[in-house]
Amino acid sequence: MTEVAFPSYRPFMKYSRHRHAAAAVVLVAASLLSGCAAPAPEQAPAPAAPPFRPVASIREVMNSVIDPSVDEVWNAVKSVVDDGRLTEHTPVKDEDWAEVRRHALIVSEAANLLLMHDRPVAPPGAPSLAPGVELTPEEIRSLIDKNPDGWNFYVQEFQDSLKPALAAIDAKNAQALFDAGEKIDTTCENCHSTFWYPKAVASSR
Amino acid sequence: MMKMKITLVLLAAGALCAVQQAQAHHAFAAEYDVAKPVTLSGTLTRMEWVNPHGWIYMDTKEPDGTVKHWTVETSGPSQMSRRGLKKTDFVDGMSLQVKGYQGIKDQSLANGRTLVLTDGRSFYIGSVGGPNDGADK
Repeated sequence: MTEVAFPSYRPFMKYSRHRHAAAAVVLVAASLLSGCAAPAPEQAPAPAAPPFRPVASIREVMNSVIDPSVDEVWNAVKSVVDDGRLTEHTPVKDEDWAEVRRHALIVSEAANLLLMHDRPVAPPGAPSLAPGVELTPEEIRSLIDKNPDGWNFYVQEFQDSLKPALAAIDAKNAQALFDAGEKIDTTCENCHSTFWYPKAVASSR
Repeated sequence: MMKMKITLVLLAAGALCAVQQAQAHHAFAAEYDVAKPVTLSGTLTRMEWVNPHGWIYMDTKEPDGTVKHWTVETSGPSQMSRRGLKKTDFVDGMSLQVKGYQGIKDQSLANGRTLVLTDGRSFYIGSVGGPNDGADK
């Protein structure tokens, strides 16, 4: 059997690689050129507005959703001196813990409602609840619009303050739930003193 | 009928407590009058060691001999603990003195600033946002 040599094999491969590379360059250049020549692609459509539809004002969310539920979280653990004795109140049964957890979740999630920018501060025409001390809804809106990052920060700080409470509830640790209550109050006050009654805070210093 | 009356009274009392606690997040000056400082000397009838603010219920004797029931808001229990006050310092019927400021709308409501016990110990019990009256020094 005659051995056939293929001396041209390697040069052919080399030539072939060069040819392919050149073709690729031409193709890329062509596509770039055609891209330049083509009309600019249409701009991506603006993102659709969030499907949220605020019904209640911030004041109403506070009074109807957050306040009643955060009171349940705070009141879940307390001590009362009455009738000649000191009585400790804590959740005892699984249902008790489930109930306080329900309220902690309501508060945690309701914080998200406060982050919806289009939500009005108060019903139309509603006045300040304490003229001269607490701002009008229009003044509060102005502060929020000037400092949206601050508003978001304080609301999320408030939301985060519920995490230790939820952890305490899941661990059924009444003392930890009681201790978590102070931080929740502090975050309420941080936001209120910035956006609701900054004048009152300034005058007390 | 009597049972129904008792139930209604209890419901009303509960509603009153709920109203007082629900007011706790307004500005200090929206609820209390810094131009009306009060010094209350009387007897403890109830104390709630609860977040976000504690509540002292006490009776004082008025000049005409009648008894007035006061509700006194305090700072949070953790803050009072850090200042050395304990819930076990409160005993139903004990004598105590509270200095603070009277409520604007509710004349039987006060915001406590200083609590003095019969053993002479004195504690700052003021809430955040109160007047700069030196009570916390």
